[in-house]
Amino acid sequence: MSSAEVLAAGEPPTPVPAAPSGSRRGLPPLARYLLVRLALVVPMIWVLVTLVFVLLRVIGDPITAAQGGRLTPEQIAERKAEAGLDRPLLVQYWEYLSGLLHGDFGRSLTDNQPISEVLRVNGAATLELSFYALVVAFAVGVPLGRLAARYRDRLPDVALRLFAIVAYAAPVFFVGLLLKLAFTPFGWPSSGRASTSTLLTLEQVHPRTNILLVDAILWGDPSYVLEVLQYALLPALALGLLTGGVFLRLVRINLLQTMRAEYVTSARARGMAEGRVIRKVAFRNALVPVVTVMGMQVAMLLAGAVLTETTFEWKGIGYALAEYLKARDFLAVQGIVTVIALVVCVASFLIDVIVALVDPRVRF
Amino acid sequence: MARAGVQRLVPGVVRQSHGLQRFMLLLGFGLVLLFVVVAVFAPWIAPYGFDADRTSDGVVFGAQQAPSSSHWFGTTVGGTDVFSRVVYGTRTAMIVIALAVVLSSVVGVPLGLVSGYVGGALDRVLVLVMDALYAFPSLLLAIVVSIVLSGGSSGAFGGIMSAALSITVIFVPQYFRVIRNATLSVKTEPYVDAARVVGVRTPRIMFRHVFSNVAQNLPIIGTLNASEAILTLAGLGFLGFGIEPSAAAEWGYDLNKALPDATNGIWWTGVFPGLAIVLVVLGVTLVGESLNDVLNPLLRTRAGDGSESEIQLDDDAAATVAEDVPTDVRRAAVLSLSDLSVSFSTDAGRVRAVRDLSFDVAPGEVLAVVGESGSGKSVTARAVLGLLPSTASVEGSAVLRSGDGPGDGRRTGPAGVPGDGRRSSTERELVGRSQRELRSVRGDEVSMVFQEPSTALDPVRTVGWQIVQGIRAHRSVSAKEARARAVELLELVGLPDPEQRVDYYPHQLSGGQKQRVVIAMAIACDPDVIVADEPTTALDVTVQAQILDLLLSLRDRLGTAIVLITHNMGVVADVADRVVVMYRGRLVETAPVDRLFAEPRHPYTRALLDAVPHLGREDGPEPVDPSNEVVLDVDDLVVEFAGRLGQPAFTAVDHVSLQVRRGEVLGLVGESGSGKSTIGRTAVGLQQPTSGTVSVSGTVVSGLSDARLRPLRSRFGFVFQDPASSLNPRMSIGDCIAEPLRVQTDLSSAQVDAKVASLLESVQLPASYAARFGHELSGGQRQRISLARAIALDPDLLIADEPTSALDVSVQATVLELFAELQQRVGFACLFISHDLAVVDSLANRVAVLQHGRLVEQGSREDVLRRPQEAYTQRLIAAVPVPDPAEQRRRRPTPMP
Repeated sequence: MSSAEVLAAGEPPTPVPAAPSGSRRGLPPLARYLLVRLALVVPMIWVLVTLVFVLLRVIGDPITAAQGGRLTPEQIAERKAEAGLDRPLLVQYWEYLSGLLHGDFGRSLTDNQPISEVLRVNGAATLELSFYALVVAFAVGVPLGRLAARYRDRLPDVALRLFAIVAYAAPVFFVGLLLKLAFTPFGWPSSGRASTSTLLTLEQVHPRTNILLVDAILWGDPSYVLEVLQYALLPALALGLLTGGVFLRLVRINLLQTMRAEYVTSARARGMAEGRVIRKVAFRNALVPVVTVMGMQVAMLLAGAVLTETTFEWKGIGYALAEYLKARDFLAVQGIVTVIALVVCVASFLIDVIVALVDPRVRF
Repeated sequence: MARAGVQRLVPGVVRQSHGLQRFMLLLGFGLVLLFVVVAVFAPWIAPYGFDADRTSDGVVFGAQQAPSSSHWFGTTVGGTDVFSRVVYGTRTAMIVIALAVVLSSVVGVPLGLVSGYVGGALDRVLVLVMDALYAFPSLLLAIVVSIVLSGGSSGAFGGIMSAALSITVIFVPQYFRVIRNATLSVKTEPYVDAARVVGVRTPRIMFRHVFSNVAQNLPIIGTLNASEAILTLAGLGFLGFGIEPSAAAEWGYDLNKALPDATNGIWWTGVFPGLAIVLVVLGVTLVGESLNDVLNPLLRTRAGDGSESEIQLDDDAAATVAEDVPTDVRRAAVLSLSDLSVSFSTDAGRVRAVRDLSFDVAPGEVLAVVGESGSGKSVTARAVLGLLPSTASVEGSAVLRSGDGPGDGRRTGPAGVPGDGRRSSTERELVGRSQRELRSVRGDEVSMVFQEPSTALDPVRTVGWQIVQGIRAHRSVSAKEARARAVELLELVGLPDPEQRVDYYPHQLSGGQKQRVVIAMAIACDPDVIVADEPTTALDVTVQAQILDLLLSLRDRLGTAIVLITHNMGVVADVADRVVVMYRGRLVETAPVDRLFAEPRHPYTRALLDAVPHLGREDGPEPVDPSNEVVLDVDDLVVEFAGRLGQPAFTAVDHVSLQVRRGEVLGLVGESGSGKSTIGRTAVGLQQPTSGTVSVSGTVVSGLSDARLRPLRSRFGFVFQDPASSLNPRMSIGDCIAEPLRVQTDLSSAQVDAKVASLLESVQLPASYAARFGHELSGGQRQRISLARAIALDPDLLIADEPTSALDVSVQATVLELFAELQQRVGFACLFISHDLAVVDSLANRVAVLQHGRLVEQGSREDVLRRPQEAYTQRLIAAVPVPDPAEQRRRRPTPMP
């Protein structure tokens, strides 16, 4: 991602002259803006969902893919008829779409589980991992990005930029491998979400969220909380450093760009202290493009989660996806990939909302 | 106008510290080169085959052997040589990257180009699909595609190809987005319009004009995608969806196999392939980043001293003409500059922007600092407050004498008369102070008003917040008191409803209102001096008059001295008490305003004043014979722009009818947003009318398709406002001028060359300029080239859209002279669009006045500009300050209270 995204993020001004400002007809501008954004999300979801369906059906039928060679052609035909896969593609497409509207993502072929159930259990794990990773990414990226911008072209900046590039250049599974090499000699847990006994205990928590940290807190034993966090450290670091490097570069470059703006000079000319100028003026303005691109990082985070979860046997959506892919269970893959597409679309809409909150030009 | 920052102030200022940049670039290239060499010579470098588990003699390596002399990187769990696998993996990675980058650019670039240029439904659909693809997690997409292509895995060639194709699919949207966005911005550039005006066909425009200017982004995206391609390939391999392990070595696959080793302390199986990935990506990324820095247009600047003045002086004549300043005035001055010099360190050495400048600012006076671009006036202003970038070095002295702090009473008298003798002043040197020390001065004793209010205000903070910050930087008052003061200040600067507007964001205010806010900030702490850097240049003339009134009344009420930096001699005559004239960083003359205009002493001042057009005193041409044929006939023209969703359409041109006859210049005047440019664009078919018709020489040209319009296009020429963007930067001057000839005529290339040479001659440039490029010329020269291109086909009609408003006044004078001469000689009809009534007064036969898209008044130059009938025309004319202080005092509608 990085600079290509920075390049791509800025839409050039449209040639159509802006309508005279101050026209206040109909809906308030914020509501109109959000409605327009929402209206744009729907076709995007449709395109993605259709794409997933088309791509996965081009492979051939899922039954043959999963069971080919193990079953006789008659058995396969029977199974296909059972699953409704012998009907015209359009009918299946229609069923797939209407199923989605009801929250039905189909069933897996290999273990015959409803995908929604897989999502409920594993989704919580991925959510938890993404949250930890985001915390690490923010804690690393934002302050270091500000530091780099402040010492532009001097030693701290150079070191931090190299760090950011290396963090981006190292595949998450390689970082994972290095972390494992470094931590296992000390007996630090390096796979799974918790020990088997802890997992068994926490399964009894009511109401069970599958977010282990929450479950452990609900259970009330601090040693469980500690253990859960211990298990989470390495995957969170691996995934968080990757995203943190991207954040660092984003914050740095956008801060540097806003520092060049005339309103920053103007704030200095009013006698504002330099620290305040950076904190209150430049940073807030730099945040607008940063938030937009961070929204795109959600997709990257999800892709990274597949690799991180495989590396650390963290049983989230990505782990499940990789397993189903290996088993050639394309019905399950279709369901999971569809959900990921939905998450990406929803995230991009939420980012628009956040941008609107940060940037008054959108709000009014 | 104002590009933020110092780039505008001092061309040639480039950031230093390229040493580091060069190091990163070299490191990047070194790494990439190393891996390319390894990839090419893999069979010679690797001691064993990538999947060999025994020597040629049949000796088995053994699994998971630690690094040794026979296996430098040890052996894998499968008993193969790690070093050999890393070497062969390099080959796989390089082939996949090359394929992926080439394939995705071959698909993505044309799509982006067409989508951005053609627009419409095609664009919307492509954007939707590409955005959806782009938003999707790229690795998952690649997995899905690789399964579709190969059923998960396949042999060497098929596997590599399918890996490359999977990666291609995820990169196409990136190329598409970048190229489409670049296309959108390039296609609105005047040089693209210029090509359309003469009838260049779409494919040629897309290739010659758009693609060549967009293509500079490609190396950057290419390198960035290459690094992502490696990571994606490794990710695919790691998850088991890459290339069949028996077909080729692949780093990601090896890492996956090495994962269980990590917990057993076996490090070599994973670390070496991992490091290989990191180093390749690092190398490619460093190359990309450095290319980005090198190619970034913001960092590219023109060499030279930045002065484009057409007035050339001998060095002997450059001696300063300054009035002797009585020492008591000097002692009473609030601000005294002595021998101030500013220079910038650039790659091309030091550039001296200001040299040995000395002048004084008396309490309560308006001191105008005038000069053309590159004269160093803005640099001087910023130097005083220490607002220049770190590449600047300032020498000499700037002494600030402040009174007893705020509330030392009103100082009276506009002329440089010291106030009452109570001013027991403290002297402070500003040059060489630290930022911390200067901060107490900024906004308190000396404050600043900027040229472009929309960039000087923070867009994400309310205006009240910004004023409050300024107050609380200097006064220990509560937030509530500061806010009350902000409201009071907004009221003082004449912003209506200050209690409400204090909570407005800048974009909710008009340009004039924003400038009032900037002024409110400047006076917030009752400063002794306000430095106003071109405070009205970005504003319409009627708004300019209001802002100048405001500045004057504040001076009278608060006794603040104002240093007014401007290029506009009318503004100087209107408000200044004394004038400092600068030329190429030096002070050439300083004098009281009346004396300066009545008897300028320095040759530069004289030449400058001669070049300024004077509304009401110009002897432009008489009306042409009304029996001349009508060349341009605009009949009941309406142009509407569709509003954004949920907003009404915007009517840019509202039932306008006008005619221009052979040999006639019609001056079309109006303020910004009056629709004058839209009329010009509609007249040449760059914009379709909503209703009404446009005819040129009796043929209706509006509403025609491009193909039908093309043969008619030789009848009109167009000159654009911005000389910087009216010529394609990638085409030579000769090609720019020849383009209309090549498109519209059958001349041989020798004939075209001859015609180009004669056209260059007719705009008074040497024929050798044909080989140059636009960026090598000055603004005035570029406008001459635009003029040459516009008359290349001997058009019946020339549309000139603000052709001189981006030029310095001396340059403007020579371009206008040339224009008038050509018009006399060729006899084309001309629609001359301008906001500058004085310019129109000097060359139009007739004048038409526009307001909000409606035609307010039209008639002969004499009638409209001397005896205006309509109230709006009268107001417009009254708002234009004339470059004569005595006359301007008479014209000023109401004397200041």
